[in-house]
Amino acid sequence: MEQLYYSLLVMLLGVLGCVFYFFGSNWLLIIMFPINHVSNEKMAKNIRRAAAIRPWLFLGPALFFLGLYLVYPVFDSVYLSLHGRNGEDFVGLANYQWLFNDNEFIESLINNVMWLLIVPALSTFFGLIIAALTDRIRWGNIAKSLIFMPMAISFIGASIIWKFVYDYRAEGSDQIGLLNALVVYFGGTPQAWITIPFWNDILLMVILIWIQTGFAMVILSAALRGIPEETVEAAVLDGANGIQIFFKILIPQIWGSIAVVWTTITILVLKVFDIVLAMTNGQWDTQVLANMMFDWMFRGGGDFGRGAAIAVIIMIAVIPVMVWNVRQANAQMEGR
Amino acid sequence: MKNKILNSAIALAILTSSSAFADDLKFQPGEDNTFNWASYEQFKKDVNLKGQKLTIKGPWLGADKDLAESVIAYFEAATGADVEYAGSDSFEQQIVIDVQAGSAPNIAIFPQPGLAADLASKGFLSPLSADTEKWVKENYAAGSSWVDLGTFTDKKGNKNLFGFFYKVDLKSLVWFIPENFEDAGYEIPKTMEELKGLTKQIVADGGTPWCIGLGSGAATGWPATDWVEDLMLRTQSPEDYDRWVSNDLKFNDPKVVQAIEEFGWFAGNDKFVDGGARAVATSDFRESPLGLFSSPAKCYMHRQASFIPSFFPEGTKLGLDADFFYFPAYASKDLGKPVLGAGTMWGITDDSKAAQAFIAFLQTPIAHEIWMAQSGFLTPYKGVNINAYGNDTLKKQGKILLDATTFRFDGSDLMPGKIGAGAFWTGMVDYTGGKSAQEVGNNIQATWDALK
Repeated sequence: MEQLYYSLLVMLLGVLGCVFYFFGSNWLLIIMFPINHVSNEKMAKNIRRAAAIRPWLFLGPALFFLGLYLVYPVFDSVYLSLHGRNGEDFVGLANYQWLFNDNEFIESLINNVMWLLIVPALSTFFGLIIAALTDRIRWGNIAKSLIFMPMAISFIGASIIWKFVYDYRAEGSDQIGLLNALVVYFGGTPQAWITIPFWNDILLMVILIWIQTGFAMVILSAALRGIPEETVEAAVLDGANGIQIFFKILIPQIWGSIAVVWTTITILVLKVFDIVLAMTNGQWDTQVLANMMFDWMFRGGGDFGRGAAIAVIIMIAVIPVMVWNVRQANAQMEGR
Repeated sequence: MKNKILNSAIALAILTSSSAFADDLKFQPGEDNTFNWASYEQFKKDVNLKGQKLTIKGPWLGADKDLAESVIAYFEAATGADVEYAGSDSFEQQIVIDVQAGSAPNIAIFPQPGLAADLASKGFLSPLSADTEKWVKENYAAGSSWVDLGTFTDKKGNKNLFGFFYKVDLKSLVWFIPENFEDAGYEIPKTMEELKGLTKQIVADGGTPWCIGLGSGAATGWPATDWVEDLMLRTQSPEDYDRWVSNDLKFNDPKVVQAIEEFGWFAGNDKFVDGGARAVATSDFRESPLGLFSSPAKCYMHRQASFIPSFFPEGTKLGLDADFFYFPAYASKDLGKPVLGAGTMWGITDDSKAAQAFIAFLQTPIAHEIWMAQSGFLTPYKGVNINAYGNDTLKKQGKILLDATTFRFDGSDLMPGKIGAGAFWTGMVDYTGGKSAQEVGNNIQATWDALK
């Protein structure tokens, strides 16, 4: 209850503070460079000056916070990764040396690559198919809302839901896990799903696909609607069938949106952490980089140097994808 | 409208944040003379913390949290302080984040001395008073060993007492349902040979002997470390055990690998465990003992520490519905009857008058007796009334603890955090998943080597 009251208060103060800052700083600017009751020449000069300062005033807070919460941590992570356990004594590249000889790191790397290959591809694929199919039917909107809903669930929440789906009870007792209940119903033997190496990775990925398909669907559905009708009509007149229209007319025209969706999900997957922590905590060969980082950073007193080294690796892996993503998004905007 | 909501929110916040009242107390002061009420009244007279706040963080949720809060309520009633306890399933990581972020609680309850030692070496713990050290030496059974366990090196390299042990668990226990044993005509095994014989006998009779569960959120795997430690003490000398804990005896040494394989004898056999070997790592340790109580019984025995009755079904009468026997030692090996135990260590992570007072409160008989009278609590404190234990089962355990000769502390709790609360857990999960004991030992040793 107390938290609720505090968070309401903070929200209110935050909004009021923002309003006050922008109005107040603008008002100060006008006071400093008056434009009324001054000579024309001075007025023109003042308008120019104010226009030069205003963007910095308005962008200032955003730049400051980006610097504090984004730029500074990046440099601090690099600094920490070159230092020992407590971030005090300089050890050079020892943490990286250890990292590339560590079995767990290699395992995490392989798992992350698997996640990268499978999750964005399937999420985008399902999103695209569903977007195309639901556009044509009467109850399409209901179907879309249902598929979009998991987006609103936090990763931890989703993990808990799926933990129940995969839950395993000994053979002969009532299966509370949906998957095992189905398996038993069709005469199979229940399995401890999340402990089976390789397959457990896939089952964890299903959770993220379940969450992200809705996102892909919404973006791609909007893109599909933006396609000019004439192109489709022309294709129909030329005697193309449905499949051909979809692959040769529609897809090429929304290629940019597909790329943006794909890369956005890719960046998210590189940082995947909550699902693994909640489901397996990296056991049974499901370790991923972000969870390994958390483990080294905070478990058993923590090792800041090694934790930071893993963080730097994740960052380096994200950068190229991010650059491409931003470029694609910009190209999309210019195209409009 | 907005104002209305805000006002009612404020009103509610004021209502809900008020501290405990005397009517929250489980046992009314002065009523039952098993309790040492004099020590409570004395503390009430000596200490006044009206209006002061104290935050405590620990690993306990659910039943254990309620029990801890039932003791804390007496501190609140005696001193007028407002104590907030918060539990977390991932306490090991949470506390590290909290102290690094500068938002540490006043008092942290460490399930692992290894983790506390680590934080002390970084300067995040405040030393306890010299009186506390003297008190523990004089009043705890095997007092100096409890002092040693809570003494760490600080940032400057000085040794200090940082941790006070309150709430001790006995680990070498096997829980069973007397009625089920009677119906099947099974005798309580006195030796490890007999225990293994009984295990095979139960399978031959068409039953399942064991329930084993290692699941524990982000701490999955820890129950297996207790098994291995108990079996270390039953296959190797106590000196070897100590060398193993300090890594003078390597984790991939044949002696250690043998102990892991001993555990595998029980847990790695599909016929011996409820749900088969695969289920061991996925079943939650809190739900695992419930197999004893189902009808027909899913299993006959469950090796777990003394805290586990907190998770037995509601209304279970210990000694009648469920009981325990000592996890026996080999008759063929001359190792006596070793006892494995552990305890939670209370340390000060943000010093204040209230925090020091709370540690002093834990040195009153009443602070121990309140929890003794309920469940899941043992104490090596010689100054308590042993009749305060809630039942004969607990009393039996309390006696074992007070008379301990070869008493060894939980090894994984003494190892560096990254091993005892990391690689060892993961290794045991891998082992139950089918990796060989040697490979698991190699992996854990490799992690340990990488720490140095």
